[in-house]
Amino acid sequence: MSAQPERERPEGVEGPMLIAEDIHRHFEGMHAVDGVSLEVPRGKITGLIGPNGAGKSTFMAVVAGTLPASSGRILFEGEDITRLPTYRRARRGLARTFQLPSEFARLTVLENLLVAAPHHRGDSLFGALMGRRYWVKDEERLVDEARGLLKRFGMSAKESDYAGLMSGGQKRLIEIMRALMLHPRCLLLDEPMSGVHPRVIEQIQFYLQSLRADGLTILMVEHELHLVEQLCDSVFVMAQGKLIGSGTMASLRRQREIVDAYLVG
Amino acid sequence: MSIFAAAFGFGLVSMSVIALAAVGFTMQFGITNMINLAYGQVMISSAYVAYYINRAGVTIWVGMIAGAVFGAVFSFLLNRLVYAPFQRKGTSHLGMVIVSLAVSLMLANLLLPIVGYFSVSYQEHAGSLVRLGDIVLTNNQIAIIVLSLAVMLGIHALLRYTRLGKAMRATAANPMLARNCGIPTQRVIDMVWLITGALCGLAGVVAALNSDSFVIASGAGFLITALAAAVLGGAGQPYGAMIGAVIIGLVTELSAAAWSPEYKEVVAFGILVLVMVLRPQGLLAKRGALAAAG
Amino acid sequence: MNTYYAANLLIYAGVDIIAVLALNLQFGVSGIVNFSFIVFQAAGAYAAAVLSMPPHTAADYSFQVYVGGYQLPFPIPWIGGALAGALLAIPVGLVVLRKLRSDYQAIALLVTSIIANTVINNARPFLNGAAGLALVPQPLENQVDTGTDNYLYLYIGLTAVCVGLVWFLAARIVNSPYGRTLRAMREHELAATALGKNPVALKMTMFIVGGAIAGLSGAILVGFLTVWAPSTWLYPETIILFAALIVGGRGNNLGAILGALLVPVGFEEVTRQLIRMNIGPPNLIPALEWVAIGLFILGFLWFRPEGVRPEPHRIFEGSPEAELVEHVRTA
Repeated sequence: MSAQPERERPEGVEGPMLIAEDIHRHFEGMHAVDGVSLEVPRGKITGLIGPNGAGKSTFMAVVAGTLPASSGRILFEGEDITRLPTYRRARRGLARTFQLPSEFARLTVLENLLVAAPHHRGDSLFGALMGRRYWVKDEERLVDEARGLLKRFGMSAKESDYAGLMSGGQKRLIEIMRALMLHPRCLLLDEPMSGVHPRVIEQIQFYLQSLRADGLTILMVEHELHLVEQLCDSVFVMAQGKLIGSGTMASLRRQREIVDAYLVG
Repeated sequence: MSIFAAAFGFGLVSMSVIALAAVGFTMQFGITNMINLAYGQVMISSAYVAYYINRAGVTIWVGMIAGAVFGAVFSFLLNRLVYAPFQRKGTSHLGMVIVSLAVSLMLANLLLPIVGYFSVSYQEHAGSLVRLGDIVLTNNQIAIIVLSLAVMLGIHALLRYTRLGKAMRATAANPMLARNCGIPTQRVIDMVWLITGALCGLAGVVAALNSDSFVIASGAGFLITALAAAVLGGAGQPYGAMIGAVIIGLVTELSAAAWSPEYKEVVAFGILVLVMVLRPQGLLAKRGALAAAG
Repeated sequence: MNTYYAANLLIYAGVDIIAVLALNLQFGVSGIVNFSFIVFQAAGAYAAAVLSMPPHTAADYSFQVYVGGYQLPFPIPWIGGALAGALLAIPVGLVVLRKLRSDYQAIALLVTSIIANTVINNARPFLNGAAGLALVPQPLENQVDTGTDNYLYLYIGLTAVCVGLVWFLAARIVNSPYGRTLRAMREHELAATALGKNPVALKMTMFIVGGAIAGLSGAILVGFLTVWAPSTWLYPETIILFAALIVGGRGNNLGAILGALLVPVGFEEVTRQLIRMNIGPPNLIPALEWVAIGLFILGFLWFRPEGVRPEPHRIFEGSPEAELVEHVRTA
């Protein structure tokens, strides 16, 4: 990979969407992430699993930019984004959801989605001062797009409800839809199924698979191993801050150290 | 050079006064998670309680006890009747700050019609001067230093060697876990407010004694200095507050000698801002206490 | 009712409405706890004063010591006031708004307010210290005799124009997608960041815009009062404005205006009436006023934290609800 940022990739070029090179993250003497290197393949759903305290969420936070890496590099579509703050990474197409519910509580479900829209004429001080007529076309277009997403995820009836009043599963869906409004190229999901009703888990599985079919790259931290088996094309395993294995779930089950780490760690 | 030696002496007195206030303030935050912005007003109210006793002819050293008792009772009631209910209701950190500000305003304005707007001071013989090289202090000032040292040792003994102290440290570290381990957190919190309230009251009388005169509005300055020392040392850390008090006491007195005594609070404020921006966790960081929002 | 009394009431109401609208943009909409708000109003007042006053060496003015003194005519001092508020917001915002968590930010700003007052109080050559500035020229005083009722009507008119302007700007901001982004940042800053919003830029912008409006309110006030001293802008003044938002309802302009009328204006009026009716010693009433404000804050925070007029529930045309409920037009 070249060290120069490459903003425009030529059409049809393959290559990993996301590359982490020797990421270290330590804080007050603890090595939460201790030298992790991995490549996230384009257009696939990749899992990140491991016992509690393995450093998975910390690693995701570093990739997303919420936490700075103590050392190492992150490359996204060939561009070195290690120094970029989270909002810049989001604008480049790297979206994330959070482990804990993070909806905009006192905004309606529809407003939650509209906030995410990246190119809105009304989303600047200048645009606001210019008045409604300046941005109303963008708004109408985005409302249509958002309503389309709501329909696809079965939440059209809730569009005017406050997001804070939604159930846990609905909040997860809102976060995923919100991230999709960004038109991301890569989606980082942190335990998207945790605390969610089994029926809704099926729904989310279904949507993630259809998103993969549309070409989206997904990196997903997940605890429920049977879900990981059903959804993920390949998996990385972390324990105690280090990467201890990778491959398909089937091949990993055959490796003694992985099984041990999970049972012990 | 002798100005600075004298300033060093004043610094010793200053740090003694600030330490009393800062340790109480920081323990309130560390153990009950409450940034009590009414602290300065409670200090000045206790100073006035001692003032009225002093006016009746009683020595200020007895007045200090009265001030400490007032501070203890008032702070205890303040928590039980106002802070704790709002906290139980789930009010945000910010909401609690606004609550404590409202209390501060109400307290100040309830007292103003009673005590008046004019500044007052204690009638206390300052005592003969003691010379140590270029440092010149009065007997009273030496007594303040000794008193403060004794109280700091007492706090240390409390935290280190008593059951209550250990319970306090456990509650500060992890209230939920402490409760699950059988620590009567409600009782611990009550004791915290009584003890820190006493510190607050004592600090108020001492601070007033160390000033030429005081008035209701002095409360704001007391608060800023205590806040600065507490934040500098690491919010929630009693030993940190002591270190913070030493630094702020010295720096403000030395700067007063070098430039102007009117700006002592400004210097303390400058330190506070520098700390908040450069190292918000303070000198003795408490793990997780002041992590950035998120 | 005599004209001066009415003018006083209306102009103070106008100034308070402008101030609370600005604070609403910062706190209600964007979640910035600007406990130093009053400093920006003061900056505007001082700036307008020193821009319109003659140099302090001039006859009649030599009992004061201050910087500036450019004798500029209206409307330059008012524009200068707004500018002063905006410029002051830049260094304060850059220092405080970046890495601190919200209650730390609030305290840092509160302490800034206290210290700024102390510094100006003690630094006599800058803005005449504790005594403050007096004999501040009034806008258009050479065109209209300031002793007349006509001048009062003129001043009320000027204030009303400013209120209209500020309300218009605030409405445009709050009811736009930009306002929606600000509210999202208020709700969950981290999530907003993950959606590509730059929180520092958003907060700085609102800090500066709010600072400018606060400065304008100060310029309007000083032009009417003709005096301005540190005792006019102690830190509790900011708390009154926060109380206005808590009571009236934050996040929306109507709530802000309602709060401004209920709290700063309402309390002032009640106090004035009580003093006129000679109830109790004169010192007691202002003090009790503050106690009452404190009780109002606690009461509303306990029983109705969203205020009298809460943030409106935004329903879009074509939604299931819109068929049943009228499309909500927000102020």
